[in-house]
Amino acid sequence: MSKLRRRTAPAASLAAALVLVTAGCGGGDDSAGLPADQQGSGGTAAADGDGVKLGILGQCEGPFGGFHEDAAAGTTLALARFAGATSNSSTSALDGFSGAEAAGTPIELVGIGCGDDTADRILQEVRLLVEQNGANVIVGPLSGDEGMAVAEYAKANPELTVLAGISGSQEQTLQIQAPNYFRFYGDGAIWNAGLGDLLYHQQGWRDVAVIADDYSFGHTSAAGFVADFCAVGGDVTHRVFPPLGTTDYSSYIAQLPNPDEVDGYFWAVGGTGTQAALEAFINSKGDLTGDQHAGNLFFNPDLAQALGSDIAGAHIGGFATLPGDVMTPEIEEYLASADATWESIAGSLSGNEPAPPSTAAAFGFFYGYYTAGVALVEALEAVDGDISDVDAFHAALAGLTLDLPYGPISLDENNSGVVDVGLSRLVVDDAGEVVQETVAIVPGVDQSFGGTFSPDTPSPGRDFPACDERDLPWEGQATPVVDGVPQS
Amino acid sequence: MTARRLLTSSNLLGAALVAVLLLLPNLTTAFFVNFVMTQTFILGLAAATIVFLAKYGGMTSLAQFLLFGVAGFMFGNAAQETGSRGLNLGWSPWVAIGFALLVTVAVAFVLGAIASRSTGIYFLMLTFVYAVIGYFVFAQIVEISGPGGITSIQRPDFLGPPVRLYYAGLLLSVLAYLGFRAAGRTPFGLALQGVRDDPVRMASLGFNVRLYRTLAFSLAGFVAGLSGLLNVWWNGQIDPASIATGPTLILLIIAVIGGITSFEGAWLGAFVYVWVFTYLRDLPLIDEIGITEARFNTVIGVIVLLIMVLSPEGLTGIVQRLRRHVGARITALQGPALGGSPSTGKRAKESGGMAT
Repeated sequence: MSKLRRRTAPAASLAAALVLVTAGCGGGDDSAGLPADQQGSGGTAAADGDGVKLGILGQCEGPFGGFHEDAAAGTTLALARFAGATSNSSTSALDGFSGAEAAGTPIELVGIGCGDDTADRILQEVRLLVEQNGANVIVGPLSGDEGMAVAEYAKANPELTVLAGISGSQEQTLQIQAPNYFRFYGDGAIWNAGLGDLLYHQQGWRDVAVIADDYSFGHTSAAGFVADFCAVGGDVTHRVFPPLGTTDYSSYIAQLPNPDEVDGYFWAVGGTGTQAALEAFINSKGDLTGDQHAGNLFFNPDLAQALGSDIAGAHIGGFATLPGDVMTPEIEEYLASADATWESIAGSLSGNEPAPPSTAAAFGFFYGYYTAGVALVEALEAVDGDISDVDAFHAALAGLTLDLPYGPISLDENNSGVVDVGLSRLVVDDAGEVVQETVAIVPGVDQSFGGTFSPDTPSPGRDFPACDERDLPWEGQATPVVDGVPQS
Repeated sequence: MTARRLLTSSNLLGAALVAVLLLLPNLTTAFFVNFVMTQTFILGLAAATIVFLAKYGGMTSLAQFLLFGVAGFMFGNAAQETGSRGLNLGWSPWVAIGFALLVTVAVAFVLGAIASRSTGIYFLMLTFVYAVIGYFVFAQIVEISGPGGITSIQRPDFLGPPVRLYYAGLLLSVLAYLGFRAAGRTPFGLALQGVRDDPVRMASLGFNVRLYRTLAFSLAGFVAGLSGLLNVWWNGQIDPASIATGPTLILLIIAVIGGITSFEGAWLGAFVYVWVFTYLRDLPLIDEIGITEARFNTVIGVIVLLIMVLSPEGLTGIVQRLRRHVGARITALQGPALGGSPSTGKRAKESGGMAT
């Protein structure tokens, strides 16, 4: 008998905990008693006329955890410029903003989600924002696999509106095709459009080894390069895919051919892996010869500082922004507006140390979230601030053409951005610093790659696409850039 | 006599708890039911398999999340009809469920048979190796796992509305709780506890020690598989990262928070984990002391540390000690007339034994 009694306490504690929490969570909530199957995900607040309840999905842990501030700041800047928002802090966007309003509709920030690059975690974060905090518009996420998970979630919750942050996997728009998921920037493949063409014709590359992160963005990025390089007649001899988050790349570098066996290497190893992978390459294959390397979003000033000037000469695919050597009045105005919004921002490009906000604003992670914020404001204005008709709101978003500082962006039939891609090269400037210099702009690239990719083709993967010659719309169409001036 | 034995305070409280849980969707928010509680049942069910193996078999397993993942991946492969991920076998949900559980139990049997020779820290490390290998198997053999996971996994029609998944979690949790406890009183469970306490003596008595450990591991694998099925239905997708070492350790942490020798503790630990994950970050001023989303794992670490320092038996151990303390006070106040002292001492001894 005493044994049975002894078990009373744990049961009682569990019961007490549950009752307490139930009382705590249920009290005063309008949705209390709502049957779970009728639970509103997105759109409930909008339908009630409460305006936009915005959730931002960033990433504060994992390989891209260093970009958390950039993500929140990008959207905040767009709302500060065009919706009257005021940042709650002069040194961080993570403290939120207030006072945002577009076409008479208030935009309230209900939370900033924190991903870790896994689909499981980002699903939890988006559910917290939508189902707990009542968000009806989500800006984000940041990374490739996260994008697919959130696109699936959007598809299952048609009242919700998702404006992707900077997640670059192709599948989230081309294959999943959620009608309420919008991407106002290019995918990872788009960012390499024209790079293969350039390397083949101007650098004389014929045989290339590809090394890319083994996840959706890495696959997408590599797929864009392979499609582009093979289209003009090049050959990809090796494809190596280390898992995302690898710290010791030596075994993967060993699978690559030696520098005298190929004309070049294409890298799509990102986040915390970039430097580790290149260092492993140096240890295994000898010093870098810059003009034998290409990649995208991987060569930044910090990296050059760590690796030395040997990396100069490397070619870089596009990202969301153009390198700093192209400066138009629109870009200058955009960067100045960032400096006017905060005193400083601890963005990733400054090593998460406080720096002028324009430093962060000039980088793609910040800018992707900025384009989403601009799209939100313009779509609200297009529907006169009335988002009670979600379909009309989505139609307005799908029909937008944004006139943005780094070039116009419209959406294709899958709600994915058609963008201008800036290709660049690392050079040593007069001060001896390695800097990025724009060499060409490829206008109006969409994610279909002239039919190479479609909803019916496999997702970019370790073997897809095959290395075949094909016609690409932009082959030979890139606009050269000399000294930061497009030669159109 | 049977009725009187059933009408214990413990059973009454358990029944009341189940009644509250049954009514919960009408008492609180859909989010609390569908997110917090459904997840609690999923994780609690998986953590209970760790408790089962540790409590009756003396085996602390880190492979339970792998088995959880095997079931999820197998269901995804079997049930999905189209898409570029997985085998897309397009089987009916019932066949897919059977297939997923069959494969999971088969994998558990093989892994259990290999591990059955080891105990203690060696068993722990071996099962951790299983978890690591399992992660890489699914990360590398993309034909069965993606690439990048299997997405758009639909739950069977009979689980349509999310609240039904909550009830499925509740039902499976109650069955697993009662089943695991009952298993401890069966000849199999008693023999397993004998194997835990003195394998040499059990072997000399003619018991096949390795077989008992393997069967226990398979049974735990079956329940972990059920939990894995609930998870893919709840999450709609499964990714190799879902069963990486991080989540694997989190499951052990859940079992430790609750108390690794107590079945109640599995669900209590899961509840505390999910609750902290969900609500702690929203506490006013919590970020003022440096606890932001990015510090969440630190918070969990501190909580585990505190619980371990206060009570190696986890939260249920703390509750038990409080109860003993209060019981002793009451007994002292009531005096020896009620004859409480001898039994109190005996009870304390028994409880101490339970924790080992």
